[in-house]
Amino acid sequence: MIAIHPLGVLIALVIVALIGATIYWMLHPPPAPADIVAERAEAALEEMAGSIIVVFSEDIHSEHMMVLAARLARRERAELLAVYIVEVPLILPQGAQMPQEDRRAIEALATAEAIAQHGGVTIRTDVIHARQVSTAVVDLAKRESANLIMLGSYREGKYTGAPLGRAIESIASSAQCDVLIGVPGPHGRMLTLERPPAAARRNGAG
Amino acid sequence: MPSKPELRRAVTPWGSFSWGYSDVGADIFVGLGLVLGAAAGASNVAFLFAGIVYVCIGLAYTELAATYPVAGGGQYFVMRGLGDVFGFIAGWAVLLDFTIDITLFAWSCVDYLGQLVPFLALTHHPWVHFSAAFALIAGLCLLNLVGVRESTTFNGIVSALDVVSETSILFFGFLFAFNPDLLVHAMTLYWPTNDHLLLGVSLAIISFVGLESISQAAQETQRPASIIPRTSIALILTILVYALAYANLALGMIPANPVPPDAHGHAQTFFQFLGSTANQGSAVAVLAANVPYFGKLAALYVPILGAVLLLISSNSGVFGASRIAYAMSRSQLLPSVFERVHPRYRTPAVSIVVFCGVALAVLVFAALPSLDPGADAVYTRFFHGEAGLDVLADLYAFGAATSYSFVFVALIALRLKDPLSPRKFRIPINIPLTFRGERALFPVVGVIGFLGIFSILIFTMLTHPIGRVAGPLWLGCGIIGYLIYRRRKALPLWDSRPIDWETQQITILKEAGELELMDELIEKLRARGKAPGVAKAP
Repeated sequence: MIAIHPLGVLIALVIVALIGATIYWMLHPPPAPADIVAERAEAALEEMAGSIIVVFSEDIHSEHMMVLAARLARRERAELLAVYIVEVPLILPQGAQMPQEDRRAIEALATAEAIAQHGGVTIRTDVIHARQVSTAVVDLAKRESANLIMLGSYREGKYTGAPLGRAIESIASSAQCDVLIGVPGPHGRMLTLERPPAAARRNGAG
Repeated sequence: MPSKPELRRAVTPWGSFSWGYSDVGADIFVGLGLVLGAAAGASNVAFLFAGIVYVCIGLAYTELAATYPVAGGGQYFVMRGLGDVFGFIAGWAVLLDFTIDITLFAWSCVDYLGQLVPFLALTHHPWVHFSAAFALIAGLCLLNLVGVRESTTFNGIVSALDVVSETSILFFGFLFAFNPDLLVHAMTLYWPTNDHLLLGVSLAIISFVGLESISQAAQETQRPASIIPRTSIALILTILVYALAYANLALGMIPANPVPPDAHGHAQTFFQFLGSTANQGSAVAVLAANVPYFGKLAALYVPILGAVLLLISSNSGVFGASRIAYAMSRSQLLPSVFERVHPRYRTPAVSIVVFCGVALAVLVFAALPSLDPGADAVYTRFFHGEAGLDVLADLYAFGAATSYSFVFVALIALRLKDPLSPRKFRIPINIPLTFRGERALFPVVGVIGFLGIFSILIFTMLTHPIGRVAGPLWLGCGIIGYLIYRRRKALPLWDSRPIDWETQQITILKEAGELELMDELIEKLRARGKAPGVAKAP
């Protein structure tokens, strides 16, 4: 037996509307300041999808940054470019042959390529001869409209000043995109290509 | 050395809502039949009165939990506002509530299952019903001992299903089976005596007990000062709508199936059928099964969904009782034995076993008249024949009304004693005044709420023969035990241990991630020449 009454219909609709509206209101609280900042950062990252340049040179050793670069490029669907800058001394002409340096460049870029392939991303590599590493990198970043320049440095005991050097300092201050400088920590794992000797020995013994 | 692990802030807005809902949402499954049985044609009025008081309770808990987002809930607020001895009494009353919670909801869970499996029905096989409830409580005790407990995700899913289910029952019930003339007729013809109305009001409050679960989980909630007010207000509204709608629907509903005559062969109305001894434990399932069209589907799943929700609620009782006892023990309100943790399972084993033991004893006491005719005669002589669900509901109402009364007093005291703590949510309608040189806001709603809940406590004492004896007896024994324990430990008997609440508040806000509120408090304290430090949160 059905008893449809206009008041019953109205109450039925009011109940559904009231419960629905209450639950919706509850589930949509105003965002916290931290949430707003996080959303903006996320949006900025979404826009990225440009290119990431990983820099190598005589003083800039970025092999340990390549894994991170490859992961980032794959996640953000960004282009990955590994570049080795051969610094041409002022006493030599601009187009001078530097076979030893070129050889080192090819080795470094081969490693970069291998890491990128492992990471499942395609990579472009280039060897650039330039008078100054910093100027070459900044100009390249402009030409490529790069979103991120990644530079690796290394640690000698507790001292990282010398390897960081003026080139990195200059790139960081002149570049118009973000610059990520990675220095592997003495006990860090994320940026370390090889296991620390002590740990490796322990694992081997185990 | 690794630092002590803290509670992880992983409870989302829905998680926080479902923590409360899984506790308070189950109450209507028990409360509807009891109130219909007691207040008859005035059941909706009983729910309305209790509902108004419940809104005040909800607002008080919302303000306190958002201001002091720590585990412990009512017991912590009262201890902070009124001192150790009142903190103990409030905590002890909450312990009674949680313990009764275990038995009441296990009992009702079996009632709901009895809708599908008549073998479990109390009226046909009381021993089977008793054994099933006993086994459920013992099982929950074991599960909690080994540390297995329903997850927030499970609670969230069951709560979501139940919100959809209850809204559907009410929607189709009002759409297909509601007759306002019948409602007016029931209210006019079956208006109860004053005693029964008071009894109905005191039982109606049990439909609203459990909101404090949200504040219990405050320490694990993301951005508690912002989220808890929303989830609490949403829970208050949802439960209030359900309780009022169910009561009015039950009184004005034309059921799809004919109503059978009562035990004496007399014709009865549908709401009387729902409030009868046979159906009062599973009234929502019976009502749902009688909604035209939708009832056929509801008859299949509502008993199961109700039973699951009631089982979760019973489990909340085991968890809540053991954790409150543990927290009270750590605050030196209960002996340290309740703090003892199982060496293997890392659970407060003594607390779990003791309060499950009390729950089982209460079950035996409540079930005895249905199991033994001799006991029935004794209960008829000394307790006006009160037994079964009525006994459990009496004690539940007593414990809730007592602890809520203290929470209102604590709300007022904290407004005056601690005006500096930032309150992201403040109950409306306040009187500005100056207390001890500080500007404070006196909460008018706190006074109204206190009068409301205190009157329900009086109704409970007046109308429940067992509640007025066993409730105060529980409190009296607890206070004596508390005084003996404090004397042995050379702790102040009536005074409180010295605690730097301001410093503790900074730590609470810091750990809650409410850094803006923490800065606000520090600034206020500095402006008054106080140098706040950072202490360990409770």
